[in-house]
Amino acid sequence: MNTSTRERGNRRVALLFLAPNFLGFCLFALVPLVLSLAGSFTTWSLRPSVPLQFIGLTNYIQLFQDKNFYFYLYNTGYLMLAMPVSIAGALTLAVLLNQQFQFKRARYQPRLALTAAVIAALGAAGLWLTGSPSLAYLTAALGLVSALGFLFGSVSYRTFFYLPHFTAGAATIILWSQLYNPNFGLINQVLGRFMEQPPGWLTSTKSLLGFLPLPAHFNNGGFGLGAREAIMIMGIWGAIGGNTMLLYLAGLSNIPPDLYEAADIDGASPWQRFWHITFPQLAPTTFFVCIMGVIGGLQGGFEQARLMTEGGPAGTTTTVSYYIYTQGFERLDLGYGSAVAWVLFVLILALTLANWKYGSRRMAD
Amino acid sequence: MLIWQELKTFLRHLLMIAVAILMIVPFLWMIGTSFKPHSEVERESLLPEQPQPQNYSIVLRRAPDPYTGKLLDLNFPKWYFNSLFIAAWVTALQVLTSCMAAYAFARIEWKGRDKVFFLYLSTMMIPGLVLMLPNYQIMVALGLVNTYIGLILPAAFSAFGTFLMRQFMLGIPKSYDEAAEMDGANHLQIFLDVILPLARPGMITLTIFTFLGNFQSFFWPLVMIKDDYLRTLPIGLLSFTGQYGPQTELIMAATVMNIVPLIILFIAMQKQLVAGIQLGGVKG
Repeated sequence: MNTSTRERGNRRVALLFLAPNFLGFCLFALVPLVLSLAGSFTTWSLRPSVPLQFIGLTNYIQLFQDKNFYFYLYNTGYLMLAMPVSIAGALTLAVLLNQQFQFKRARYQPRLALTAAVIAALGAAGLWLTGSPSLAYLTAALGLVSALGFLFGSVSYRTFFYLPHFTAGAATIILWSQLYNPNFGLINQVLGRFMEQPPGWLTSTKSLLGFLPLPAHFNNGGFGLGAREAIMIMGIWGAIGGNTMLLYLAGLSNIPPDLYEAADIDGASPWQRFWHITFPQLAPTTFFVCIMGVIGGLQGGFEQARLMTEGGPAGTTTTVSYYIYTQGFERLDLGYGSAVAWVLFVLILALTLANWKYGSRRMAD
Repeated sequence: MLIWQELKTFLRHLLMIAVAILMIVPFLWMIGTSFKPHSEVERESLLPEQPQPQNYSIVLRRAPDPYTGKLLDLNFPKWYFNSLFIAAWVTALQVLTSCMAAYAFARIEWKGRDKVFFLYLSTMMIPGLVLMLPNYQIMVALGLVNTYIGLILPAAFSAFGTFLMRQFMLGIPKSYDEAAEMDGANHLQIFLDVILPLARPGMITLTIFTFLGNFQSFFWPLVMIKDDYLRTLPIGLLSFTGQYGPQTELIMAATVMNIVPLIILFIAMQKQLVAGIQLGGVKG
């Protein structure tokens, strides 16, 4: 067999292996991509009464004149401000988890675990009997977490931190919408002990940027904690111990130890060690996480809006993705929805490219 | 000096315990509330005075709703089955098609391979939102709206899965295939008997992510399902909150039944998962 027939044979086999995936890929990625671009220049609608007509740039012109689109874009951008917080939090947790959790005297570990478990069990039993089941419950949880922590160290903490991310979905969103309930939600029950008027959360249009002179149709409710902050806090809870933290942990374990040894010889403080060794060494991870965060964040907010707030109050939690959904599946206007989706796509591409350029230059330094 | 170091380790533990408690408090509240009788929901407590485990039987339609005296108007067990069924099919198909495509990209040399692969990679950048509207129209055209197949098929192919499996397969030494080829094995045999067993860690990671992602998937079922009997768990929870909104204890019982299996799955598989995430970079 000469090489060229072998090559051709290989190609045939390869295409056979590729065929099922490639067919699906064409049908559910390439074809829809073309359809949605083409459709955005038409009156494409799910209503049978609307005839399909080519209308040129009408959808796009309408979009750029749509005051609400800028409002929803602002909401999306504002919600993305949770991203730097969760990235910084994930990095902090990763650095903390990367420390030494083993005691020098190994026998301390099972002993401490046992002590924690026994104290917690006794405490929980006592509290239960004296009529405070809630405190007993908390004490028991505390005992379990500390016993596992003393026994297994960072692996066990990592598991607890990752749980919110792993379970994230409709169920946790519904759980949080109950936590924020002004009457019986845990959050305002706790805050109510410290403040006269706890935040209105999901029913409030306030925001931390509420002091800015925003246009009237942004339905600015003033400075405070509102529905957007509620969604951001939930997002931070879900993301802080998630994949970002795991990636940082992997990054930390790849930093050559001699860098730190050299810093020790020079007498560097822990703060200096972090800013001059750890942070620069983790730059590729930070870069990757930021890019993925921007791509995901611009498309985000749909589930929260659909499950928690219906986009309200007064549109303050409507993001671009929820807008596309309402245009497509509530107003049944697929043409306009596609135009919004494509503008978002171009925005994502532009930001990713900018990020890439800026990021690679920074990393080359 | 030694005591000082041990004390520092101890304080580190305390800090991490505090953070861990903060992370799981919502789950503790969820479990506690799911056992409350309706009259106790507004009380400031994590656990009820009179626990009412029947909340679970009510959600599962084994006991009548105390307010109406009738079974709930919702088919929670069926939704559970639907979610598991759809996620299982999607996972099986996606892992299969991804592994096959990855084999073509990683283990066979052919002309144009890198170009086709680049095409795959670039589609990973397209926001799902752009594809959703036309995909729905395609489903309408194929008559697959409101069917199991319509829920399963579009999710059965994944550029991300292909990418992840390719990364795993590239790490397998070429000499394995060559040895098998010497023994007269063809590509199908090499794929099944040599590469797949060696790529198992990757397959496990992809399986968990795909299963989890589809078990929790919200958008696509939301637009595709019209009938109650086809609802998946996330959509079911949404209609649950719509219909029984004030009955928080029941909603929490339903939520517990959604979340707790995931917690168990995670604890069982966490070693493979963490390795997979750190290797593959992202969650699918």
